[in-house]
Amino acid sequence: MSVNSTSRRRKRRQPWGSGSPPAWLDAMALSLWGILFLKYWLNGKLNILIHPNYMWLTIAAGIVLLGISGLLLFKVIQKLKLQPASSSMGTSAMGTSAQHVTLFPPIWSSSLLVAIAILGFVIEPRAFASQTAIQRGLTDSLTMTRAKAQSFRSAARPEERTLIDWVRTLNAYPEPDAYTGQKVKVQGFVTYPPASELPDQYFFISRFVITCCAADVYPVGIPVKLSQSRSAYKPDTWLEVTGQMITETLGGRRQLTIQASTLKPIPEPKNPYDY
Amino acid sequence: MNQLNNAFTLFLSLLVEAIPFLLLGVLFSGLLLFFVDERKLIALMPKHPLLGALMGSLVGFLFPVCECGNVPVARRLLLQGAPTPVAVGFLLAAPTINPVVFWSTWTAFRDQPEIVFWRIGLSLAIATIIGWVFSVQTDLRPFLQPAIARSLVEPRTDPAKAANDSTHLLQSGTFLLGQPGKVIRMDTAGLAAMAAPSITTKPLADRLQLLLENTVQEIRELGSVLVLGSAIAAIIQVFVPREVILGLGQGPISSILSMMLLGGVVSICSTVDSFFALSFASTFTSGALLAFLVFGPMIDLKGVGLMLSIFKPRAIFYMFGLVSLLTFLFTLFINLHVS
Repeated sequence: MSVNSTSRRRKRRQPWGSGSPPAWLDAMALSLWGILFLKYWLNGKLNILIHPNYMWLTIAAGIVLLGISGLLLFKVIQKLKLQPASSSMGTSAMGTSAQHVTLFPPIWSSSLLVAIAILGFVIEPRAFASQTAIQRGLTDSLTMTRAKAQSFRSAARPEERTLIDWVRTLNAYPEPDAYTGQKVKVQGFVTYPPASELPDQYFFISRFVITCCAADVYPVGIPVKLSQSRSAYKPDTWLEVTGQMITETLGGRRQLTIQASTLKPIPEPKNPYDY
Repeated sequence: MNQLNNAFTLFLSLLVEAIPFLLLGVLFSGLLLFFVDERKLIALMPKHPLLGALMGSLVGFLFPVCECGNVPVARRLLLQGAPTPVAVGFLLAAPTINPVVFWSTWTAFRDQPEIVFWRIGLSLAIATIIGWVFSVQTDLRPFLQPAIARSLVEPRTDPAKAANDSTHLLQSGTFLLGQPGKVIRMDTAGLAAMAAPSITTKPLADRLQLLLENTVQEIRELGSVLVLGSAIAAIIQVFVPREVILGLGQGPISSILSMMLLGGVVSICSTVDSFFALSFASTFTSGALLAFLVFGPMIDLKGVGLMLSIFKPRAIFYMFGLVSLLTFLFTLFINLHVS
């Protein structure tokens, strides 16, 4: 008994008072998130957010969320049918006996979930672009800690390698001279690193690699050498670059570089990341 | 504006990836709590302090609860007579030592599988050590909140009274019953259900009803903390200059301390905190990521709030001190000698 009364006392001290949010608010939060997840799946935005391996988890979660909110709504309606006169605020006898020790009042939590889901419907997620690539440290080497390719086959013909294949190959055998003269055909977006690092006739052809979700995407890129100024190719333009590999000394470092022969603008792929 | 959109995309990606695991954890723990009788489990626990602490830590595998679920369970374990090392080991390890956390950590750190094993290993070691240390205190009552201490004192000879007590404790524990959905349960069946001695003896329909309520409540609570945690991660990622993050994140000591601080403040649920950590994977040392993954589930703002429902501040302070020191030492060792 004493425990119970203590908890009541504690509860009364809580500034936000008691009360769980009405069930319809919870049901709304759950169903909004469920619909949002399924919407991202159907309109392909899930590609921007997470690695394809985990999409089924999100889709399943969307369905489960809708299911739970359906059950909740079913209960609410059942209750209304049983007791049409009583207001939805009617409290059970135990309404005060139990209170989560929570960081926030439950009604805030529900409202927060609803509000964020609505934001999700209003604001479209967008793939990261060159600015993020620079901020996250664009390199031609994979970040030390990750993506050590466990099994990696590089395409037999160099011109069939994707940008990531090139970067992986380079990580496996970093001597740029080894690739001199090999044909290249890669797709990616244009990034201008800080001027101090690259002269005007170079830019990076770059791409993001994703392992789990957009939180861990990291950029990789290879410098491209043009015959004139790079100003014709604005940052974030998607290009297919054809040419051959050369070695250049850029920023005091010998680097594998693409000597471009043709640069063809392409539409941004539906799935902008590479794996 | 662009930055803001980046932050929002990052934020959404964390949520889209994490919510499935959150759901899984909530459903799984709900099911087990409603269908497994922990009293039988306690009877199986070894009496030896070290073994007990180890078993208590491992038992989390049966209760895949994150740090919001483990406190009520640990409290029930204590009240039902579990030895101190078992209960303390469980309290500290359960959020990490469980299948859902293992899977989500694996998902996030698939490229660094060692992180997954270090995380499990260190959590197990720390929880066992602390459980063992607490076994020195044979009478735990001075460490407990008066209400709980009193009910431990009461002789257990009167079964009806004991059952009655534990029922009330269940109620105030709220994990199971929560704030009963006002709209949902107004019938007397709910009342009758609550008076039953153990949750696992209730009729199936009532248990399912409670399971639904419990699930919704947990999603609400944990979901909103996840939303805030993801927002913090996204904001730090996008708006804090990279040099600042790298400056902190590359030092073997500063990186660990800052990640422990983050883990303590952010309070993100352990089933999904690996995704949070992942967003720092390229900038922070492995030891620091581990410090976050090991320390956060044991001690964080939300968890301390919950633990205050069992322990006096003094005991929590001891735990905090021990957990911090051990985490710091272990992860520093990893930073300096392993990675």
